[in-house]
Amino acid sequence: MIDLIIALIKVVGIWSFTLGVAAVMTWVERRGAALIQDRPGPNRAGLFGILQPVCDGIKLFTKENIVPEKADKVLFNLGPIMFAIPAFSAFAVIPFGDRIIIGGKEILLQISNIDIGFLYIVALGSLAVYGVIIGGWGSNNKYSILGGLRSTAQLISYEVPWGLALLGVVLVYGTFNLREIALAQQGTFLGILPNWGVFHQPLGFILFMVAAYAEANRVPFDLPEAESEIVSGYHTEYGSMKLGVYLFGEYVNITTLSALTVTFYFGSWHLPYINMASFLGDGTIIYGIASFLIFCLKVSFFLWLFVWVRWTVPRFRYDQVMKLGWKSLIPLALFNLFITTLFIQIKYYIGG
Amino acid sequence: MAKPVVEKKYSFLDSIYLFEILKGMVLTMRHFMFNFFASFRPGPHTIPTTWQYPEDRREISPIFRGEHMLMLDEQGRELCVGCGMCAKICPAKCITVEMAKVKEGEESKYAGKTHCKNFNIDLLRCIFCGFCEETCPKSAIELGQGYELSRFTKEECQLGKERLLKNYHWAKKNNKLKPKKVEAEQPKDKKE
Amino acid sequence: MNNINLDEYIKVNIGPSHPAMHGTLRVIAWTDGETVMHCDPEIGYLHRGVEKLGESFTYHQFIPLTDRMNYCSAINSNVAYEAAVEKLMGVEIPLKAQLIRTIMCELARIADHQVCVGILGVDLGAFTPFFYLIIQREEIYEIFEWYNGARLTNTFGRIGGVENDLPADFDARWKELKPNLFKSIDETDKLLTHNRIWMDRTIGVSAFSPEDALNWGFTGPCLRACGVKRDLRKDEPYYQYANFKFDVPVGKNGDVFDRYMIRMQEMHESIKIIDQAYEMYKQLPPDAPLMAKVPKIIKPPVGEVYSSHETPNGELGFYIKSDGTDKPYRIKVRPPCYMIYQAFPELVQGEMIADLVACLSSLNVIAGELDR
Repeated sequence: MIDLIIALIKVVGIWSFTLGVAAVMTWVERRGAALIQDRPGPNRAGLFGILQPVCDGIKLFTKENIVPEKADKVLFNLGPIMFAIPAFSAFAVIPFGDRIIIGGKEILLQISNIDIGFLYIVALGSLAVYGVIIGGWGSNNKYSILGGLRSTAQLISYEVPWGLALLGVVLVYGTFNLREIALAQQGTFLGILPNWGVFHQPLGFILFMVAAYAEANRVPFDLPEAESEIVSGYHTEYGSMKLGVYLFGEYVNITTLSALTVTFYFGSWHLPYINMASFLGDGTIIYGIASFLIFCLKVSFFLWLFVWVRWTVPRFRYDQVMKLGWKSLIPLALFNLFITTLFIQIKYYIGG
Repeated sequence: MAKPVVEKKYSFLDSIYLFEILKGMVLTMRHFMFNFFASFRPGPHTIPTTWQYPEDRREISPIFRGEHMLMLDEQGRELCVGCGMCAKICPAKCITVEMAKVKEGEESKYAGKTHCKNFNIDLLRCIFCGFCEETCPKSAIELGQGYELSRFTKEECQLGKERLLKNYHWAKKNNKLKPKKVEAEQPKDKKE
Repeated sequence: MNNINLDEYIKVNIGPSHPAMHGTLRVIAWTDGETVMHCDPEIGYLHRGVEKLGESFTYHQFIPLTDRMNYCSAINSNVAYEAAVEKLMGVEIPLKAQLIRTIMCELARIADHQVCVGILGVDLGAFTPFFYLIIQREEIYEIFEWYNGARLTNTFGRIGGVENDLPADFDARWKELKPNLFKSIDETDKLLTHNRIWMDRTIGVSAFSPEDALNWGFTGPCLRACGVKRDLRKDEPYYQYANFKFDVPVGKNGDVFDRYMIRMQEMHESIKIIDQAYEMYKQLPPDAPLMAKVPKIIKPPVGEVYSSHETPNGELGFYIKSDGTDKPYRIKVRPPCYMIYQAFPELVQGEMIADLVACLSSLNVIAGELDR
């Protein structure tokens, strides 16, 4: 019973946390873009405009819910749901802190510590494409279907280098369990560097980041919603909160991807060179909170990176995205995998 | 009619994407940092490129071509004689003037022997070219600095005589009349 | 082109209200997936009958209408029209007026190129350079505002000269603006030119051969991008352009990248011209005349004239026929966009939808000028 309550608290907590992060991200995006572009951005609602997401939310909720007459009603309504569910669910296996021990009961700061966390993430990543294609198809609009098709091709193509790049990490740490991957990143690597995935897999990290940007439909891979070409892509016909769900889903996706980056490549909740568990005591509440905060700090950097890159680079063209994916990223990812296995084998023979 | 085939030649640094993108990111970050710290400074106009409109207004050129006004001279007499030159020159044909003789006993109100009984400017038609101001022999009509021209009804966009005089009084009160072009006109007179 | 069966392809309607359409243009594209097999541009959504209106306006009253042709650089259109009427009347405008016109025209040219380059960036997904450029354009507009009171539709100049002397603070403004202009152009250059994504998106896209370009009647940056060195300021110099030292940048392939580069370089050249013109202007006495001797009511002699100027988009020509009255008998405008936009189906055939948008913004088609 207590297990169930704890799980429920964790689910609700993480769900509202990601939702909150997504909401704040809309503000960060607008404000960050504005400051990069020499303008102040939203600064009227609340201090520095921090209440802007609330206003936007109210606006989206109170708008009329329009379904185009010739749209496929079922698919049109299903699209946003199909888009949002995988985005939210992916967070279930990501460890967002170490553990807290209360009265001899171990509480992992992770909703579900499953052994095939990696496969779960990859599987849910593939599901996101259904929301986009269903929305694009159901709208019965040429721009939407173009956006949906672009998105499908792009997501399916970039799934491959994304997964292959992550496989390198899995090979290094020898586990599919995300918590164990996170735990393994403590200590130092080669004596000087933190034992983080990025130092084991520098090429893999770059490939993963590039593929992550494509997975999240962000600039420079925002072709599915390329505003100047196909209006808004798959959500052209959407309005009201359905559009809001799409937009929120995008930010939740970004949050998930940033959390994954941190988990796989940046030592999750570990500080470099400092063993916090021995410092604050393993399992104390303060340690749990500290590890969570460090995790958040790292995630927020990658969230900011998404915004920062978006307002710096132009957009790819559809065929160039495909070319980059299949001709550059996948060979490089395979090469990375090959090198990794080679090193592991050498290490195996030397170290026994 | 075949399109020429263009060979793409990239240097190595160009071809690996990341180098130039990182350079661009450094540039955008520089802008971000500058504006980020600027936005903490007190005052409304801290980021130098944006004006927080209703509170914080841009300086308008003294010869700005905005909402019209009918001028009075120093004694507070109406300068307009109702000759209709402005109506004639107006490319948008938005001015209607009705001339009337000055009645006895009202000479102190008007500068000339005639005056305009009605003067109407249709703001919906006006294109703010400033020709009326330039052609007026008495410098009686001027385009002022008012730029908030949205109105709720069509009737409000018809600037009658009262409204035009009101604009003048507002401009005089706020010291927003145009500088007199005395210096510019003097050499012309000498040549003639 | 005509032997393809259009029914086999998806018909995508782009415009007249579409985020990428500059003004109200409409392109009907038949696409095979993403590839544009054929496209059909439709014009006329912004047709206001400027040429016909001109017949019922006096010569002066037509000036505000030229503002509304190429609204990105209204001053160039004003000057081109005034020069045509002056040519018809046989009036030579004073040196000071010539220099003021030159300075203002080149400022407007910079503003126009800034918008074009910025919008090209926006259409290709790079938003930030647009803002860096547009901020400096605001400063240029401030100069215009202090010159004669309007920012966008300037109604600059009068037939026979200009209406005002340069404002007293022009010197300070220009000194402040110049480094900022260089900086903004440089920043755009850093963000875009060598970025591989940008190069992929622009190099080789909608390339055009110089023969085709000449046959279609291209002028301006689009022609120079194809490798034809033609600039009316150099080839048929008017005003003091013959005395100024400036280069005419020339491209090679006539693709989007070359058009972009030409515009970037032309901004530098324009700054050079303004510097030289302003030096010459400072040599003149302050009470030098601004207007030639022209009657108040302009009645050109019976006859006809064609005069053209180099505007930011290319050759803007005015054909004016006078019957001796105070209103022109006929005004015909030769807008550069009209000729360039004709070749649009040719330019984008076989490219992708994303390239169609890039091509359109690199041509800098201004609907006001196109439809008149």
